[in-house]
Amino acid sequence: MRSSFFKIFILALIISLLGVLSIYSSTFQKLGAWQNIYMRQMLWLIIGLACFFIFSGINYRKLWDANYFIYAAALFFLFLVFALGIIRLGAQRWLRFAWFNFQPSEFAKLAVIIFLARYFSRKSVNDTSLLSGKFGIFRGIILPFIFVAIPMFLIIEQPDLGSGLMLMLIFVCLLYLTNVRLRYISVFLSLIILPLPFLWNFLHDYQKQRLLVFLNPNIDPLGAGYTIIQSKIAIGSGGFFGRGWLAGTQSQLYFLPESHTDFIFATFSEQWGFLGSCLLILMYYLIIRQGFLIAQRTQDTFGKLLAYGISLLLALQVSINIAMNMGLAPVVGLPLPLMSYGGSSILTTFIALGILVNIDRTRTVF
Amino acid sequence: MERKNILNLIIIITFAVLLIGLLNLDILQGSKFRKLSDSNSIRLISQSGARGNILDRNGEIIVGSKISYDVMILPEEPSHVGYLLSRISHILKIELGQLKAALKKNFISSSVPVVIASNIDLKKAILLGEYRAEEPSIIITPKPLRNYPHGSLAAHVVGYVNQIDRWRLTKLEDYGYKTKDIVGFGGVEEKYDYYLRQEEGGQSVEVNHRGQFMRVLGFQAPTNGRDIQLTLDLKIQKIVEDSMAGRKGSAILMDPQDGQILALASYPNFNPAVFVNNRSSLIAGLINNPDAPLINRSISSSYPPASVFKMIVASAALELKKIDTSTSFLCQGSTMVGARKYSCWDTHGRQNIFQAVAHSCDIFFYRTGLLAGAQNIHDYALKLGLGKNVGFELPYETSGFIPSPLWRKLNKFQSWFDGDTANLAIGQGDCLVTPLQATNMMAVFANGGFLTSPYIVRAVGGLDFSTKKKKLIPVKFKQSTFNTIISGLRKVVSDPEGTGNALSSLPVKVAGKTGTAQVARKATHAWFLGFFPFDKPKFVICIFLEHGGPGHTASVVAKQIIAEMDKQGLI
Repeated sequence: MRSSFFKIFILALIISLLGVLSIYSSTFQKLGAWQNIYMRQMLWLIIGLACFFIFSGINYRKLWDANYFIYAAALFFLFLVFALGIIRLGAQRWLRFAWFNFQPSEFAKLAVIIFLARYFSRKSVNDTSLLSGKFGIFRGIILPFIFVAIPMFLIIEQPDLGSGLMLMLIFVCLLYLTNVRLRYISVFLSLIILPLPFLWNFLHDYQKQRLLVFLNPNIDPLGAGYTIIQSKIAIGSGGFFGRGWLAGTQSQLYFLPESHTDFIFATFSEQWGFLGSCLLILMYYLIIRQGFLIAQRTQDTFGKLLAYGISLLLALQVSINIAMNMGLAPVVGLPLPLMSYGGSSILTTFIALGILVNIDRTRTVF
Repeated sequence: MERKNILNLIIIITFAVLLIGLLNLDILQGSKFRKLSDSNSIRLISQSGARGNILDRNGEIIVGSKISYDVMILPEEPSHVGYLLSRISHILKIELGQLKAALKKNFISSSVPVVIASNIDLKKAILLGEYRAEEPSIIITPKPLRNYPHGSLAAHVVGYVNQIDRWRLTKLEDYGYKTKDIVGFGGVEEKYDYYLRQEEGGQSVEVNHRGQFMRVLGFQAPTNGRDIQLTLDLKIQKIVEDSMAGRKGSAILMDPQDGQILALASYPNFNPAVFVNNRSSLIAGLINNPDAPLINRSISSSYPPASVFKMIVASAALELKKIDTSTSFLCQGSTMVGARKYSCWDTHGRQNIFQAVAHSCDIFFYRTGLLAGAQNIHDYALKLGLGKNVGFELPYETSGFIPSPLWRKLNKFQSWFDGDTANLAIGQGDCLVTPLQATNMMAVFANGGFLTSPYIVRAVGGLDFSTKKKKLIPVKFKQSTFNTIISGLRKVVSDPEGTGNALSSLPVKVAGKTGTAQVARKATHAWFLGFFPFDKPKFVICIFLEHGGPGHTASVVAKQIIAEMDKQGLI
């Protein structure tokens, strides 16, 4: 079953090379340090591919053993960001290392998926049935939720609402895929959704602003609304065939902010049009479909949940980011996996894909 | 259906929705967006707030802002731009070539407004504003600029503003600073930049395909920076700077009871306004001037303290009971320390501690210093705040240096000799202090035993911090030690032979100490450190003149300042 390895590898490589092209096109007219960030992205891509090969060769069952260590490391880095944020009097989402900024929230997403996959696939000592089927509401939902809520709180506090809510969504989806009773899940969901209006008061001003602007971009045409308007113009002006590489005006001429990170889809779409964007979305879908297929044919519950989790992470991030670019979702600050500029996101995605491929490869050994 | 199939279906539906959304934007509304993009009809015109003012203790403005105007054009139609520029050049009386050069330099794209002339005054702005009715692609925005109503007064305290440099940008990027931001350099402007900084606001406007203004879509008001109130008293600062003009050195007046700096001057000084107008020839002159006018001599350079240091030697010896008030030494003009002859600047005869301080007799202090020991002198100097940073708010403070036998052994692998102790006892050798440290040391004697933490910023944005900043560290000397030294300091002025006798004619009773620091191959540095009124000290004064001759010259400057303060009723 080497085919899933090659399919995923080829698709991910094509998408991330398109990402490098888009980053180059969005920054080549800007001055100074901007001009070589596509080189940095290439470097990250190479490191990412190396990670992909390494993780596809490591038996994923080792993650079962390393689970607590991974979870603790993710928490440690999130705490470090939290503490440094207090000391340095302001928002920050990254830790500065020698020559790059490390964004622990990306890493935390993967750590939480591994944690949940292990939690819900433990077996009872007496027979080989899954424990999760017998879970009550406490062990089935509340306890794992606490383990998700700690990193989630730290990420939202950074402040990074998008990544925080991403953890929540992953949790709900994985819960749905386990044997935990549907009745519990619906109780839990209603408990989460009902107090939302009260949580509104805890949001930062700019986060409130963004949500309001999503409903009506014209209330803040200078700030967040401006980005949505310009992003829609960029995508729409692409037409059917696009304006061609390096011919986009929106993304290159300062109109579109964040044109190389969160709004890279708009940059891409302006240049390659409806045709290119459809193909891109299709390629993302094919990767995710591969993930689902791998999950379905894996018998080992841990591997199954892990594969579902990784595909869902990818699916959710891709769809929310693209929807945000098209003005269909609020601007929450999520990168587009494999395309957006940023080492932490590229690395995490490639590691996740490496694990996915390994699940399929190891599966046949059983 | 199984749960996994439902989830699979949801994902498929989500992606289908994305494709439909794409279809809607690209195909159904494509032509509309293409048109919007071609003419990209939304323009952002930024408008900046005013940087916070810097006020003196009475609320008088030291540094403020004045409104100037920037002229921008929307260079949409190249053929039209030439005509536009010639008209503008006619109205503003600026050469056409200059405008064209500015346009070329600041041009980003045909849809972004370009600044072609900045710092236009109100009259011309109004003239041009009338012309705007005909040519709506001219945009005039008000821009607050730094204004210095008192010229170069207190220049080193406030610092100056300029475009951010690369080094600062890399440090400050995370705090929202951008290239081409105007930030503070030196002084309060640099240290409190975060508070003084204004926030940008602006308008988004819609223009038609010719780039002509159609309507305002949104407006966000700019925010002004926060005001900062200093402890400086502008009247005293003015008196001090008038007396220092033409000299080189530093002058500080401080309240000894709580450490508020009332005046702080460093000469030669500079006019911060040259950085606002970006007069590059004048700026280059400031930077290349061998006298370094940009350096704040009060905190950023250190000098040998000379005889001023004798107060420390005396305190150490009195505290350690090496001498008392009845101890006396005979001054015959010179003495032998080891095999070398150390001379005094005069022949004083038999001197006790009071006379020795008053006459600044070197022989007495060679002997006292040798009795106290070099390490003890070093320790007492540190107790009185020398040899380490004062912790002052202005940037680029240097810590000075007090040598000690231990330091020399560890760092230079050399031994310490008695001759070095004798040198240290009169404040020469490797010993270095900043004028602010010297002021702070004098304050301990003025307030009777507390080391203050000098501060200069009293309130930020209307919040008064003075109670929080007042930090007094007790210096645990015996009361008799203080009494002895203080009466010695008074004798410096009151004794007819005292080195500071020039100040005795003042109506205010002053106590103090002069100092003459020897420098290799150049004129000596002059020091005067004092406090007044003697009975209830309200001011500590420090005058330091770089290569200013004997200590006497510094005491004359101090006299001028105190006399003028008395005349204006400021004491």
